Amino acid sequence: MIRAFTLLLLFACPVRADDVPAIPKFFDETASSGVASNYKGEWDFMVGGGVAAFDCSGDRKPDLYFAGGTTPSTLYVNDSVKGGALHFVATPSGAEIDRVTGAYPLDVDGDSILDLIVLRSGENVMMKGLGNCKFARANADWGFDGGDGWSTSFAATWEKGQVWPTLAVGNYIDRAQEDDPWGHCTYNWLHRPDGHKFMAPLALTPSFCTLSLLFTDWNRSGTPSLRVSNDREYYLGGTEQMWHVDPGQPPKPYSLEEGWKPLKIWGMGIASTDFNDDGYPDYFLTSMADNKLQVLAGKPDMATFKDVAYPNHAIAQRPYFGSDPNPSTAWHAEFQDVNNDGRQDLFVAKGNVAAMPDFAMKDPNNLMLMQADGTFMEAGDKAGVGSVKEARGGAVIDLNDDGQMDIVVVNRNEGAELWRNSGADTTGATLDHWLQLALHEPGANRDAIGAWIEVRLGAGVQRREITSGGGHASGQLGWWHSGLGTAMSAEVRVIWPDGTADDWAPVQADQFYDLNRGATPALR
Amino acid sequence: MTDISAGHSRIPPKGRSSMIGIVLAMALTACPAMANTRADLATQALQSWYRLMVELVRHTPTYSPPVASRAFAYLGIGAYQALETGDPDHMTSLVGQIKTLTAPPAREPGAVYDDAVILQAELAMSAHFLFSNTGPSGQGAMAARERKLAALVAEGLPQDVVDRSVTFGQAVAAHILDWSKDDGGAVVDNMGFPREYQLNPAPGHWKPTSTVVQQQFPLLPNWGTNRTFAMPAGSTCDLPPPPAYSTDPTSEFMKQAQEVYDVSKTETEEQHAIARFWADDAMLSMTPPGHWMAILDQINTRDQVPLLQQVDSSLRLGVALGDAFIGCWYVKYEYDYIRPITVIRAAIDPNWQTVVNTPPFPEYASGHSVQSAAAAAVLTQVFGENFAFTDGAPTPDGLPPRKFHDFWQAANEAGMSRLYGGIHFRYAIEQGLEQGKCIAAYANKLVTLK
Repeated sequence: MIRAFTLLLLFACPVRADDVPAIPKFFDETASSGVASNYKGEWDFMVGGGVAAFDCSGDRKPDLYFAGGTTPSTLYVNDSVKGGALHFVATPSGAEIDRVTGAYPLDVDGDSILDLIVLRSGENVMMKGLGNCKFARANADWGFDGGDGWSTSFAATWEKGQVWPTLAVGNYIDRAQEDDPWGHCTYNWLHRPDGHKFMAPLALTPSFCTLSLLFTDWNRSGTPSLRVSNDREYYLGGTEQMWHVDPGQPPKPYSLEEGWKPLKIWGMGIASTDFNDDGYPDYFLTSMADNKLQVLAGKPDMATFKDVAYPNHAIAQRPYFGSDPNPSTAWHAEFQDVNNDGRQDLFVAKGNVAAMPDFAMKDPNNLMLMQADGTFMEAGDKAGVGSVKEARGGAVIDLNDDGQMDIVVVNRNEGAELWRNSGADTTGATLDHWLQLALHEPGANRDAIGAWIEVRLGAGVQRREITSGGGHASGQLGWWHSGLGTAMSAEVRVIWPDGTADDWAPVQADQFYDLNRGATPALR
Repeated sequence: MTDISAGHSRIPPKGRSSMIGIVLAMALTACPAMANTRADLATQALQSWYRLMVELVRHTPTYSPPVASRAFAYLGIGAYQALETGDPDHMTSLVGQIKTLTAPPAREPGAVYDDAVILQAELAMSAHFLFSNTGPSGQGAMAARERKLAALVAEGLPQDVVDRSVTFGQAVAAHILDWSKDDGGAVVDNMGFPREYQLNPAPGHWKPTSTVVQQQFPLLPNWGTNRTFAMPAGSTCDLPPPPAYSTDPTSEFMKQAQEVYDVSKTETEEQHAIARFWADDAMLSMTPPGHWMAILDQINTRDQVPLLQQVDSSLRLGVALGDAFIGCWYVKYEYDYIRPITVIRAAIDPNWQTVVNTPPFPEYASGHSVQSAAAAAVLTQVFGENFAFTDGAPTPDGLPPRKFHDFWQAANEAGMSRLYGGIHFRYAIEQGLEQGKCIAAYANKLVTLK
């Protein structure tokens, strides 16, 4: 029924009158931002290179924790002025660790202080948030086995009845096999909780050199499954995967009989959103050359997806400017509405793996703006974010508390980059309206991972699944953004992880709201 | 009949075994007392590099089947010529037999060389050159392989012999590689897909079969004009035209399309397994030429084939595969024939799916059939009729090994796998096998070991 209803609403959101998306103007504020992080390393850091964006200082602006590869990771505390220039201060946190590939924020222990899952080429580390941007190692206290692999991907969910999360950690090649790495994928691990500790990890067999993971309720069953994106360069007999992770049951991969079709790509990142407004998540999978944009192929009783990247102009196959005609290499991807027109845009971080001459060496990041007909329009160069450095992870997030989506990108063997969204388009016109929403529920899963936010604008409904994971080695937690187009108000509701839906509630545009379970939206 | 899976020793045809053993002892060493050890080391270097090359074919983006076949041809010629320079009494130079090949540098008279070191250096330099565009893992693997093998073959030898042999092996490689640069296949841009191309809009001609951006134009349209190795030209083994395009259901054209469709609907488990076993998809596997090189490697390993016969058979197989893809590609772009999936979806079933991914180039003739027949013809001459073997080459699907009573059974099965896979009409398979036989005859005429 959801599908029938939402098909009626397809692309019906009351947004801009014209069909051409506004191209937001970004300013490169890397040099003045105070951020000087560099993801360094050679073969065993050719993948990874993430950033965790979350508030650890209590001012509700995202601070940034950067993976450093062979150099220690660094926490940068956000002291940007509201609506002003981006500015960060490197701050000792106790989480300075070497050989870090990526990091994801999560409130593991439900104390309302975000913790960090730090992925490494080596032992992964749980860092308990102590408040005021201080962290302490918690592997032993929490029973977390960090292993000794090459980890670059992570996802979390709260299984029904659990007070602590279930974590999936994706592991890449056996890094001891540098001389002959092919076919030497290592197992991904599922860390399930036992009360307030983690049990010994379960190996997800088979595993195929994973570079991105995402718990997602693809069929709105109420129980998320685990999507796994794998690098075909190194596996034998592998494919993209999706796993049943049902409470109390061993994890089990989806089968052909359930509709899951083998797909072999150089899977590097997963982004999700309901881009076609059918009520179900859609997935953008980054790869080399052609990327994939998957939507449900039929009814949600079969786990069959079809690729619509080509007709929707989201294939992002090669550089869209410059003199390098070779195919691209895509890593972190993220859907966000960067121009507030009510449509989900798509940012993709690009960069050569390492001296692969058949792929673009000057490979610009993409900023694909969704148009009224559901297709995407490339605007990275015009927007000012088409850097050709060797990008890996990143985040599209409001860094200076003005409701506009800024961008941070981690580059390999080069400095990270930060762009501030000016709040205007390239003609100088002010961008449309927005909402920033934060979810809170009592008890476990305080940030409501697995919930759905719905924003109603006239006849149209925007839907966002709240997830922890995906992208490329990069996670964020805090405010969730929604563009409102020209609307000055909207209605919102949350469908909480247990399926309970709040009532629709009115909200005003251009505001930050806390959405507490069972309560009316509260201005920050 | 000898089945390598049973672990029997191979009996080479024509009484060549004992002669090879003698040649080996004479040719491979500067120190007769170390003959067996030096031969073993040279064999190890040869097999080790070939295995890595077969692996790198999968992991190097430009290595579509034609490109892979070219690399194996040059690897074989280089290795053979490197050893021939030290033993002209027992090996015949390829100069005058391989098109435009000139003599490599000569060894310094009276100086001591080591053939294992020469072979290792020649192969290492060739590998680095031919796979210079592979990714960081491939580069690392080649560097590691070279370090290990170079140390292995040099152990116990006087340093001046090692240095002289390395320099000579690299000089032979440089000579071969320099010669390779103007054959028409040296530069593979955009993974082999033309940046601009005019598709023939007439019915019956090739149309793109995927939404992959590069594959909107067909792969390597000029490959058929490349310089050949043993056969005179790409057009030497030309084929008759395939059935004329027609929409008449009673036409030969539509009958062959209907057969592909019907087979897909009644496909047995065995037929499906055959389709998958020989799929050999580019960028997901060792490709068809890599598959046959792997078959040869399995036989060499199981039967402990002497070094020079390995060098000889690798040369012949590489040359045959290289010529096979040039000849096949000549035909493909001569006729620019439509793929079954295009016909079937337009006229029979719009939702029809193939078992094997349809390759992005014209249908006629079947490349796997051409090169498998060429390989079978060459390997039959080398190893003899009724030579049974088990092919346990790894497949992307992890399929079990398959047993064959001779090379022709394997080649015919590889050809039919394309019908079972839904990517070729029967006529393209049958004619492809014929073209492969024709092309292999030239590789089989090469005069090598005396």
